[in-house]
Amino acid sequence: MPESSCYRITHRTEYRYSDPVAICQNQVMLTPRELPRVRCHRTDVQILPAPGQCRSHADYFGNPVHTFAIETAHRDLSVTVASDVEVQAPRYPEPDQTAVWEGVRDAVLSGQDPDWYAAEEYRYPSAMVAVGAQFADYAAASFTPGRPILSAGLDLTRRIHADFRYDVTATKVDTLAEASFRLRAGVCQDFAHIQIACLRSLGLPARYVSGYLRTIPPPGKPRLVGADQSHAWASLYGGSQLGWVDLDPTNACVVATDHVPISIGRDYRDVAPMRGVVLGGGSPALTVRVDVVPVASFG
Amino acid sequence: MSTTKTNATTPFADYRPMPGQYDECFGPDGWPRRAFVRLVDHINGLGRESLDTLVSEGLALVRESGITYNAIEEEGERTRPWELAFTPLVVHAEEWRVLEAGLAQRTRLLEAVLDDLLGPQRLLRERVIPPEVVLSSPEFLRPFHGLPKVGGVRLHVTATELARDATGQWQVIGDRTRAPSGLGYLVENRIITSRAYPELIHHSNVHRVAPFFMRLRQLFESLSPRLTPNPRVAILTPGQKSYRYFEDTFLARYLGYTLVQGRDLAVRGGRLNLKTLGGLVPIDVLWRHISDDQCDPLELAPDAIEGVTGLVQTARSGNVSIANGLGSKLAQTPALLPFLAAANRFLFGGELQLSTVETHWCGQPESLARVLSDLDRFVLRPAFAVRGDGLIRPLQMSAEARQELIGALRDRPQQYVAQAMTSRSTTPVWREGRMESWYVALRAFQIQTGQDVAVLPGGLVRVSPTPQGVENPHGSTQLGQDCWVISDGPVDQTSTLLPGEHVPLRFVRGGAELPSRVAENLFWLGRYSERAESIARVLRTTMLRLVGEQSVGDLPEMPRLIAALAAIGQIEPDYAVKELQGSLPSLDDALPASLYTIDQQRGLSPSVTALADKATAVRDRISLDAYRIVQQIAQELATPVRIRGRADTRSAINRLSRLITGLLAFSGIGQESFTRTLGWRFLQLGRRIERAWQTAEVLRATLVDPDERSVLEAVLEATDSLMTYRSRYLLRLEPDATIDLLVTDETNPRSIRFQLERIVEVLDPLPLEPDEVGTPYERRLAFELLHRVRMAQPATLAIAEPEQRRATLDHLLEVLTEGLPELSNAITARYLIHTLPSQSLTGQV
Repeated sequence: MPESSCYRITHRTEYRYSDPVAICQNQVMLTPRELPRVRCHRTDVQILPAPGQCRSHADYFGNPVHTFAIETAHRDLSVTVASDVEVQAPRYPEPDQTAVWEGVRDAVLSGQDPDWYAAEEYRYPSAMVAVGAQFADYAAASFTPGRPILSAGLDLTRRIHADFRYDVTATKVDTLAEASFRLRAGVCQDFAHIQIACLRSLGLPARYVSGYLRTIPPPGKPRLVGADQSHAWASLYGGSQLGWVDLDPTNACVVATDHVPISIGRDYRDVAPMRGVVLGGGSPALTVRVDVVPVASFG
Repeated sequence: MSTTKTNATTPFADYRPMPGQYDECFGPDGWPRRAFVRLVDHINGLGRESLDTLVSEGLALVRESGITYNAIEEEGERTRPWELAFTPLVVHAEEWRVLEAGLAQRTRLLEAVLDDLLGPQRLLRERVIPPEVVLSSPEFLRPFHGLPKVGGVRLHVTATELARDATGQWQVIGDRTRAPSGLGYLVENRIITSRAYPELIHHSNVHRVAPFFMRLRQLFESLSPRLTPNPRVAILTPGQKSYRYFEDTFLARYLGYTLVQGRDLAVRGGRLNLKTLGGLVPIDVLWRHISDDQCDPLELAPDAIEGVTGLVQTARSGNVSIANGLGSKLAQTPALLPFLAAANRFLFGGELQLSTVETHWCGQPESLARVLSDLDRFVLRPAFAVRGDGLIRPLQMSAEARQELIGALRDRPQQYVAQAMTSRSTTPVWREGRMESWYVALRAFQIQTGQDVAVLPGGLVRVSPTPQGVENPHGSTQLGQDCWVISDGPVDQTSTLLPGEHVPLRFVRGGAELPSRVAENLFWLGRYSERAESIARVLRTTMLRLVGEQSVGDLPEMPRLIAALAAIGQIEPDYAVKELQGSLPSLDDALPASLYTIDQQRGLSPSVTALADKATAVRDRISLDAYRIVQQIAQELATPVRIRGRADTRSAINRLSRLITGLLAFSGIGQESFTRTLGWRFLQLGRRIERAWQTAEVLRATLVDPDERSVLEAVLEATDSLMTYRSRYLLRLEPDATIDLLVTDETNPRSIRFQLERIVEVLDPLPLEPDEVGTPYERRLAFELLHRVRMAQPATLAIAEPEQRRATLDHLLEVLTEGLPELSNAITARYLIHTLPSQSLTGQV
């Protein structure tokens, strides 16, 4: 595993409308937030047609948000975000050497964990992720009594990968964790929601991470431009020693330098990459192109 | 002052305070308390009969003022009149000062708690408040965290629900920090009660409520983000269907603010604007009466249609001042109640002066155990949201329901708050000739500025014969009551909101700042009032013939009048076809019954209902007299008079006459008491278009076939022109003179031409797009219709062709009956439909 990787990321969202849009008001969450092992060297947001108003602020969870309005009639809207991001490899101990999971849970609950408050928010059910016995029961097979937390977390990640079918037709962007859990199918968003629901149902803090995954072309084939995608995964709080550990149930792995996180929230709804209200527009057609290009450095 | 124990014949003679409670009026010794002495004397002095008269006159006043209360009931939404108990609750100022201090302290505490929760969250980090109470609450909406304060505070107007326990201590039941309702009713209660006891209120040193509203107005003006001498303050109401609507229209009028709904607003250029006929005008201060989660479809729920897209960002940038601050709802979370005393110690280092009724949040195991061990002593409420209908009473539950509740409490304890059953004080209420002892709920109000807290002297009192009856603020068994705080010495006599003479007056003319929605409502108000009058006249003309001496079969005008009624949509079109009439109910039954039926969509009863509805929608724009008249009109058709199961023709005629008188009074107000603003123009447009159209329909059904004298007479009668005709031509009834008077005469206010002349006049000054070239479509249409009528010759119109029809008249009327609705649509398209449908976009992962 390399110590760090550098990426030049381009994310282009285009709306093409059948009728003119009189006005649109939008929010995008597409620029990377700073994290202990993520550095953003440069980020640039280009909006066409140029908006009259564009303001940015950090949301409650610390993610950068850009709010803009286009007040002239238009038929197309494109938002292109280009970012240079450097990701450090995490240094995790051997999974069997990590703290016992019940101990992590109890220390947050009692407030003995010095960092409990940062994790507290993520213990509770949220808009798209309920908690309940069905999730706790499913998770119990991994979270056996006394098991080290990372070992148990990895086991749960692999089981979700094995037990749930990746199926882009099974769910929609607003499908709740309970529904995809029943269906035993979904996409990365659903897998992340299910894993978060399992962890929270055990009393463990877990959060939702949206970002990108570098695609590695088959041996001998060139990398396809624009074929990358947004991605999402879960993050588990492993106690003050371990901190947050990102786990990718879609790919059954610990997140390292192939993943680039952008935003963090309780579930998808907190970090939806683009929200908007448009006046008019008829039926819009949406295209999204993502490029995650590895570069040697940002010299 | 003499205080006598009441004697046997006086109203208070048989008053028996509810045992075991604190009675507001009488002490345990059976003597009136100090605050109530004058009132008891006064009412005893009035005697039973005068008191009855005073109450019934007062109730009539309530009904006439149209004070209503939209109570949301299970079968749908209904409006019922606000009901008032005519005995005020009286509190002595010395006692009030203690309560006032406690309320002010509590207001400052809630402000500090909210500011912490929307900021550093020290109360959660230090576990003064269990973090779960806030972080797991669906009411804690993250977009509101970190929004700037507005004028130094987040809670500008708050209310406190109070009950007085058996020892006489006031206790807090809950807080209202979102957008507390009740201030409008409170003012109405005060106005009506002071009319009932004019001398008493003057001599009792009752603290006025007007100064509170003056401070409120000063506060809102001070909040403006722009340095402007006249900041625009608007009240954002959830709309006509909401229980708040009556009150919001009242407050808008009382305070002189613009009443707006979400669809009247638009965020443009980063500022909040009101969409008016003349374009966008900026709003500086928004008094928000919609719920927090409804404020902005962009950042909150996509279906938040009561709000406006972009409002949260506008608040974040400080470009509009919203009161109460967005996110204020969090401070009224019932689950916070048990922790407020500790929060006060943590934040301010002292005790709360005003106690809270024993409350437990069941999310704590020890609290849950305590609640479960003594369940009957408590009522349960939802932990996170204030809901009038959310009250659960274990004491009144079946064993089965109780077990279910215990199961729910064990499963989801954090969802519940348990409050000890409230002990409430009682107070006298004069009801059906008896002085009864009813339970009291008091809602107190506070204004907070960056400097201080002002408590309204008094409050909104609800009384009910049962303690449960007052728990739900929307309950149907309760009455409102005025609350007097009285001093021994003189008090501030300000009782009006008119500015003093030292305030320089800026001359203004009402104008383009008319919200498009209001213009639309006024337009339809005009149309419906004219439609109702036109139908009522034709119907009356017809029914007068039904009850006349001659048999209906001998009257040549009857088939024509029936055809006219069918043409204007009052009766089944089949009545106009001779062959079908036999299969239909007889006219004697059908016509009177048609007054009350809603089967014919364009008929009288639906038109009158729509008229009342539109009047309600613009009640902040029309005078109280106009509103009252419309309510009386609607009342005429509310209940049919039936004799032996059949709607009665004679009483129907009387009602139609009263209806017509009412409609004339209403149009007189429109003419005489409505300034010639844009609003008036739309009212006129609606009225003139409808009258021209109705007249054209009636004439087409009656005059196209040549006629006998009696037909002409009936038509003149139905169009209110018979008197004018007679004054000109005496008893000679001729078709050409009749057609002239009703179609081409520019001086007859009932003629079609008169309507079209007015339409063209009224359309002319309406605003156009700045870069518009040429005559716009709706004006061309109006010119064209007017031109055709101007060019028509009455003599030609009256000519009957060989096949015995007036083809020229028929053609002209056809052009009018098609052109007038088209004109209405064209005006609507330009001025009244301001928004395209909006849609929400989401990206994808």
